[in-house]
Amino acid sequence: MDLEVCRVSKGYKNKAVLADISFDVGPRELVSIVGPSGVGKTTLLKIIAGLETPDKGQVMFSCPLNRKHPVIIVFQDYVLFPSMTVKDNVGFGLKARHLKKKQIIEQVNQMLAYFQLTGQADQYPAQLSAGQKQRVAIARAMIVNPAVLLLDEPFANLDRNLKMETARFIRTTQQAFGIPTVSVTHDLEEAFAMSDRIGVLLDTRLQQFDTPRKVYFNSASRAVARFLGPVNQIPKKWFSLFKINPGQADLTAGETVPARPENLILTDNPNGPGRITQKTFAGHYTVYTVTIENRTCTVYSQDDRFFTGQQVALTLKPY
Amino acid sequence: MSWINKGTTGLILKLSPLMLPYLVLFCGGVFLTVCQSAGIFTPLPHAGRALDAYGLILSDPSFFASFGFSLGVALISAAGSVIAGTFLAYRVWQLPAKLANAALVYKIPLILPHISVAFVVLIFWSQSGILASLAHQLGLIQAMHQFPNVLYSGWGLGMILAYTLKGTPFAMLLVMALLVRFDVRQIQTAAMLGASGLRIFFTIVMPRLAPALHSSFIILFLYSFGAFDIPFVLSESRPGMLSIHVYNLYFKHDLARRPEAMAILTIMFCFAVIFIIAYTKIVTRLENTVRKL
Repeated sequence: MDLEVCRVSKGYKNKAVLADISFDVGPRELVSIVGPSGVGKTTLLKIIAGLETPDKGQVMFSCPLNRKHPVIIVFQDYVLFPSMTVKDNVGFGLKARHLKKKQIIEQVNQMLAYFQLTGQADQYPAQLSAGQKQRVAIARAMIVNPAVLLLDEPFANLDRNLKMETARFIRTTQQAFGIPTVSVTHDLEEAFAMSDRIGVLLDTRLQQFDTPRKVYFNSASRAVARFLGPVNQIPKKWFSLFKINPGQADLTAGETVPARPENLILTDNPNGPGRITQKTFAGHYTVYTVTIENRTCTVYSQDDRFFTGQQVALTLKPY
Repeated sequence: MSWINKGTTGLILKLSPLMLPYLVLFCGGVFLTVCQSAGIFTPLPHAGRALDAYGLILSDPSFFASFGFSLGVALISAAGSVIAGTFLAYRVWQLPAKLANAALVYKIPLILPHISVAFVVLIFWSQSGILASLAHQLGLIQAMHQFPNVLYSGWGLGMILAYTLKGTPFAMLLVMALLVRFDVRQIQTAAMLGASGLRIFFTIVMPRLAPALHSSFIILFLYSFGAFDIPFVLSESRPGMLSIHVYNLYFKHDLARRPEAMAILTIMFCFAVIFIIAYTKIVTRLENTVRKL
């Protein structure tokens, strides 16, 4: 099963929310759509799920959907059934399919074991942590073998230190079950970590749809590049300073080359063209602001030994 | 400790405008009823023992017939109101916004007095009423007596109809108050998981509506059990509703029988209290899990 979103547009009260959105999701593929809050990501997900109708365009599935193989959306706040225990929540879809009790118990137990929820089987949603609730919601969806799984902001209600772990878990689970999955999120790191392909939704349009690496390092536009994180623009006249080979430089965005802060290498050089004007400790890296002539560059470095006022040289590390 | 007393006193003083009428009218009324049922503070001096009136009432088979009849009418009408109110509220809630606003017409019976609803039922359902006339006009019946005797069939159908008509919008009101806060995504999720409409209603929606259903059932049941207005218009004499029985004893018999009327009222009051306690305990036990949330 795979799906294709074909030229979908949607508006509310004469205001466009989504314009001409097209992308496809292959079998066993995990696709993330990233974009700022309020850009229409959840609307797009609801259109794929059939909960909203597009004004234009359509969503096509390789096999027709039915009650046995539905599209299932896991909402941002999980929407567990509050009057049911964890095992009843997980087994709900099987009961709806009128499976035999023994079969339901077996499948639910297997699913609880896989999602590490066996200890919480008899608890109610109100007694669970956010991470556990999310696992229950995904288990409840996975147990019915959905045609497509849709995840709405899967990291929104999680603690910072739990997000990456969850991203890896979602990835592993998705691969294990082989279910095409579309996730919409504004948590970029987690989207990069778990996705096969990423779409960037900005100003009602899907600006770029490609592998995480390409989207990040070869952004289609400055707007996309800026949304994905800080980016320096290195003008042509500085190519020699940054040891950039003009023949290999990507000048599609104009007469500058985009350079991510983590791809700039600082070296101690009293005759270097740059001077460190600001140094900020950011945990697992240090942020340096380097001034060259009248322009500034941001550099992320693991090396904390540089100091404010120091003359340095900069090199662009090839992607 | 002294500040607690001061605070408590202040709280009692603040609540006194509400508590005084309650204490004087309700508690005073109950106290006087119990006293009169025991022959104390009666208009005529009571010659017998304190519990004589209870003995007379409890040895009278017609009392039990009336009690059972009142119980049946109250149970059926309250259950009917709650079922109809819940179903209608759910359907109204599912309507598009514009139609849902128009459906607010359901509130009209709420503002009608019970006695008016009794007359509405009488006008529509009596053998000389609108439905009988309509049936005659349509050629379905040839004479008045051929129309089913709905109101005075001996089953209290007229009262059940009136109480259900009056109670349904009340149940709807309570259920709607919960439905407007209900997360529609729960229904969407259940539907995506393959659940049918019925399964969604009974397993997802109903548990969330349970508090409103229980509250409305208790209120409607106890009102129907003891009310006087609708039975005065629509009830029959054998068996009669308890409220009519009390009325007859109080106003249409010798003053010496007043303790019997008061004894029935006391028994009705005790029954109401026991009913509420038992109902709440049963519901709490059955829905312990839901209430934990």
